[in-house]
Amino acid sequence: MALIKQQSSELSEIIEEDERKRVRDCASLAQQLSDPDPAARRWAARDLIDCEDASVPLVAQLQQEQNRSVREIILTSLVQLGDDVAVAGLVECLRSEDASLRNEAIEAMKLLPDAVAPIMGKLLHDADPDVRIFAVNILESLRHELVEEWLKEVIERDPHVNVCATAVDLLSEVGTVTSREALENLKVRFAEEPYICFAADLAIKRICST
Amino acid sequence: MDTITISQEDFLKFREFFYRKTGIQFEDSKRYFVDKRLIERIEATDSKTFRNYFVMLRFEVSGSEIQTLTNLMTVNETYFFREEYQFKCMVNSILPEITTHKKDRRPIRIWSVPSSSGEEPYSIAMYLLEQWPGINQWDVEIISSDIDTRMIAQARKGFYSPRSVQNLPKYLLDKYFKPRDDGYQMCDDLKQAVEFTRVNLMQAADVRGYRNFDVIFCRNLLIYFDDLSRRQAADTFFDALNPGGFLCLGHSESMSRISSLYQIRKFSDSVVYQKSREIL
Repeated sequence: MALIKQQSSELSEIIEEDERKRVRDCASLAQQLSDPDPAARRWAARDLIDCEDASVPLVAQLQQEQNRSVREIILTSLVQLGDDVAVAGLVECLRSEDASLRNEAIEAMKLLPDAVAPIMGKLLHDADPDVRIFAVNILESLRHELVEEWLKEVIERDPHVNVCATAVDLLSEVGTVTSREALENLKVRFAEEPYICFAADLAIKRICST
Repeated sequence: MDTITISQEDFLKFREFFYRKTGIQFEDSKRYFVDKRLIERIEATDSKTFRNYFVMLRFEVSGSEIQTLTNLMTVNETYFFREEYQFKCMVNSILPEITTHKKDRRPIRIWSVPSSSGEEPYSIAMYLLEQWPGINQWDVEIISSDIDTRMIAQARKGFYSPRSVQNLPKYLLDKYFKPRDDGYQMCDDLKQAVEFTRVNLMQAADVRGYRNFDVIFCRNLLIYFDDLSRRQAADTFFDALNPGGFLCLGHSESMSRISSLYQIRKFSDSVVYQKSREIL
């Protein structure tokens, strides 16, 4: 037994064989998203990226896909596409009962600052407080200049204590002195909530020390 | 001759284009590094202006200029037995586990990416020959890939500077190298042990043939990628690994923030990542 070599030409043969086995046109790729073999679904999700309107079948599959590895690659492709359909599909996942899917969508949306920014206001005003909390979670590492403004706006007007608690925790990490007044007002609004008062004081202390 | 300048707008335009092609993202702090290499290529191709060069780069059918530029823009600093603890982990923990679970006698396959000038894949080969008794019972294939064709050519030559081999024990240097001029020439047997290929991890067509690996070494590459490119690389490695296969990253890199598909395995020599044996 020893160290042996596979020639690179054999790699090309594997690819060619694969191409022969699977038709790579867009319609077939969309169909392969529901192939019983997860590996075939993963490759279809990856290759669809070059097809027009690829977000439509990807979003449809994402909603029903049970295999985590396939879901992950669908999400990667949707992030690469980053169009309105992809973002709307990710937003829909925030309403899912499946906690893993929700978290995966949040992670994906963090990678799309430019595409998510225009809808952030809407998400932060969603009727469902859970969706508003997830929107704040997205802000946690969304690379966008308005993050602090959005968080300030949340603590100034959101009526739900848990939404404000999530926002104030994040503000203590990313906030500046411009958030101080909003934090003081938050303490007044939720004077009966010891955690909010504690978290707001902590945020002010951290902000002022930097 | 007029001085060639790269404006801020040119830089941003090029940065976006280069990122889409290679997954490599340049921070603003790399501006000098990028400008210097761009100007070098604008001069070499007689394009005269950034605009002319950029048009040529985008629409050139052969793709040879983007490859030349990529070769210039990538960082290729490495040496033999760098982060040796992972090679120890490979022979002490990873390979014994793989051979225990292996259901056939097909070769064990190892992918080392990026190859750079070959120090890592050749270190793996030496470690297997010298430190792993299992090499007497198993065939092992080592495939090593890089986006930079210049590096691949250098790796195939197997000629190294004294700095590159400084971490090698003397007995290995004597056994596998011959001193020559201002460096060391690797023996043919070791050179023949590694297959070198050119791969862009961001191109699905490039990586489709890379499958059935038991171990992947990808060290100190993801640090140059942005979050999305890291996700894409994690997806590529997932498809390339056999169930139960292992992924070894550099000491400052972690898969935990990139993908949830890998299990963390803490061995005595190193922390590595493993693809589940079960269908997820």
